[in-house]
Amino acid sequence: MKFEGFFDTATATALRFDWLVDELQPVTDYGRRIFAQLEPFAPGQHARAQEHAQRIATMSAALDASRIDAVREALRSAPDASGAIARASMGDALTDVNFLEIQRFCDVLARTGTLLGEHSPYTLPLCEEVHRTLERGRSAKFGFYLEDRFDSELAAARTHLRDAQAEFENARALLTARIAHSLDRADGGTAEFIIMRDELRGPIPQGVRVIREAPTYYLCELELDEAALQALRRRDDATGRVACLEETVRARLSDVIRTKSAELQEASSVLGAIDVLVAAARFTQRHACTVAQYALGDVFEFTGAHFLPLQSELERQDRTYTPISLKFCGAAVLTGPNMGGKSIGLKTCGFIAACAAFGLPVPATSAKVALFAHIAWLGVGIADDEEGLLSSFAREVVRLRDTLLIKRQPELLLIDEFARTTTPDEGRALLLALIARLRERQICALVATHLSGIASAAGVSHFAVRGLRSMPEGPPDADLHAALAQLAQLMDYTIELVTGDSKNAADAIFLAGLLGMDRPFIESAWQLLGGGEKQKH
Amino acid sequence: MGLIGAELLSLARKAGAKSIAVVGTGKNVGKTVVVATICDALRAEGTPYGLTSIGRDGEAVDVADALAKPRLLLHPGAVIATARGVLPAAPAAQILDLSALASAAGEIVYAGVRQSAFYEIAGPPTASGIRASVRRLFELDAKFVVLDGAVDRIAALAGEQHAVVVAAGASNSGTPAEAVAEVRALVARLQIPKADPAAPALVIDGALAPSTVAKLIAAGETRQIVVRDPTQVAVRGKAFLALSTHLQLRCERPLVVIAVTVASIGRDRYFEPRAFLEEVASATGLPAFDSYAGKMVAA
Repeated sequence: MKFEGFFDTATATALRFDWLVDELQPVTDYGRRIFAQLEPFAPGQHARAQEHAQRIATMSAALDASRIDAVREALRSAPDASGAIARASMGDALTDVNFLEIQRFCDVLARTGTLLGEHSPYTLPLCEEVHRTLERGRSAKFGFYLEDRFDSELAAARTHLRDAQAEFENARALLTARIAHSLDRADGGTAEFIIMRDELRGPIPQGVRVIREAPTYYLCELELDEAALQALRRRDDATGRVACLEETVRARLSDVIRTKSAELQEASSVLGAIDVLVAAARFTQRHACTVAQYALGDVFEFTGAHFLPLQSELERQDRTYTPISLKFCGAAVLTGPNMGGKSIGLKTCGFIAACAAFGLPVPATSAKVALFAHIAWLGVGIADDEEGLLSSFAREVVRLRDTLLIKRQPELLLIDEFARTTTPDEGRALLLALIARLRERQICALVATHLSGIASAAGVSHFAVRGLRSMPEGPPDADLHAALAQLAQLMDYTIELVTGDSKNAADAIFLAGLLGMDRPFIESAWQLLGGGEKQKH
Repeated sequence: MGLIGAELLSLARKAGAKSIAVVGTGKNVGKTVVVATICDALRAEGTPYGLTSIGRDGEAVDVADALAKPRLLLHPGAVIATARGVLPAAPAAQILDLSALASAAGEIVYAGVRQSAFYEIAGPPTASGIRASVRRLFELDAKFVVLDGAVDRIAALAGEQHAVVVAAGASNSGTPAEAVAEVRALVARLQIPKADPAAPALVIDGALAPSTVAKLIAAGETRQIVVRDPTQVAVRGKAFLALSTHLQLRCERPLVVIAVTVASIGRDRYFEPRAFLEEVASATGLPAFDSYAGKMVAA
């Protein structure tokens, strides 16, 4: 999947695009070639994107999980016959390995066609003539051999070769036995053999050719007599005859494949498209995805949405994921406590927008989303791989400057705690200026921050994570995993629209306690805060 | 031809092995001849067998020096794992399976020999590829597998039911004494015993490099030095023999070395065959065979 121009590598990393790519991986070389070229649908291609997502959803609904797995298993056994098909199309003679590749490719076509039945949105050419032709070479269930039945003369020629080989071997064995006897050896040894001078009684036996002499031995080889040479001549003639007939059969088979190469090439393209589609249908089924409604303008709305990379990670730890819902137009502000899921809220927006842009059903119970031309992530989570001489604030500003230079509408900006590393007053001013610029440029954006009063001052919608339901009980637990599990139990991750002006709650002191800071430290923090905050919870 | 092959088969079976890997002290030490001898013995007893190599073997001429090499004449009943690029076009072989294992001459394919012919074997170059190929050859009904090996890549065979035969020859050494020392060191290295789990041990992750060996000797290390398998010891020849007197080298997955073969004829030198054979047997403590002279010396 190509994402150049759609988002940069840092945004792809923040949104875990790599996870999505892994989930959608096809299993054949044909599918992988198509998959590598996939690009997001461009703004204005709403109908095509919707049709694409619907096609995936339809297949996902029509086939149960075991059928999808069976199709993928069948596809997985497809060898890459593209090279062989291309060579045949140019009139080249194919090898027996090529024939097996094409035969197995045809097997996969037939098997895939049967498994998908009427549920394939593409017509899969079954290449039956090629399949039938190569069927005569099917050997030992999964193999291929230029069987005698391909040519009436082949069987006789091979029998003749076997006889000639046996005749030659017999002639050679007779010679070998005679020499072994004359040298008083149990067998004739290897093709080249040694005769020790002090073991030789008399001259070198007839039929032995000395190829090198050493002070203590002769290095020798067998010298064929006239009978053996005749047998060898007959064996070589028979070998030549078989080779000639086999080449004729290969040329004939290659010609059948050449005449059907267009159909085979079409079949490989369709098989690849099916592979990509089945992988997407599997993704849709496994994650209960739905087809998004593609909207014009800067509307972004979803219910029951999942940021799947995090969900799968939580599930591996036997923890549950709380889906979120959100609805906003243009720019909006998101506040909430630490570890309340603000960043995940932003990532969910980006993940859903990316899925929709690639024409995939999205992981939500419902969604209405624009076909964005560009998505950018600003703030926490960007790797510090460049600009090593810059401070975190400077890096953030440089990245903002570069992002605002990109003018591809509609655009989605996901801004996570921008200007968090400078003074709150200046950070607030910068954030308000940024939101004003976003509104002016009609950029769809979700801005997560801990600063208070940003939404009302900027005149945009304000969403907040509900936060801790109750105060954590008991002493701080040194086990981080247990603390996180307790936090997950106590945290209400629901995002809701906030009306009026409300002070942001960070629940930071509670969290510090839960994560293991000692009691005197936490008490001191409460006192410095003014004491009253503790009772609020 | 085949008596020495039959002896090697018998030794392997006594060791409980279902395959033999033939490895050499260097190039042109008669590995292909030994492989052919074992294949002939398997054919003679009617055992369906598989054959592959680590890298390339059985080519008509040496790809390094363009001199003629012994070729592998295979007969019906043999199943080979070789690169598709070196399969002879005629007479046709039965193509039994494809694989994704790569080699310089193309992907590895599995083929059944249907007509007697000369074959070049170019197997997978990696230990994992070798392991997969050997497993597949057994699945394709081979009852015994012969492997033309390379010393550094037989790690795949360690700890399993495989026997190793070491081939030594005149080609790689200036004198018989040098050749004997070389094969003695190689056999000693391949025969590193299994670690004692009850004894104190320093486990080496990866290769045991000469610099590490020097540090361990200098530190007077007395614990077992445990490597994964004998091929992980990156100290060769006389240096290995020297280090083994200072350190207790052990491994997790030992190899089973059953015999040594000798080729006293080199490309440009030769050794006195009987003396060379006897010295190799004496130095290694293993049965030694000379396929060219049709002689053997018991351990």
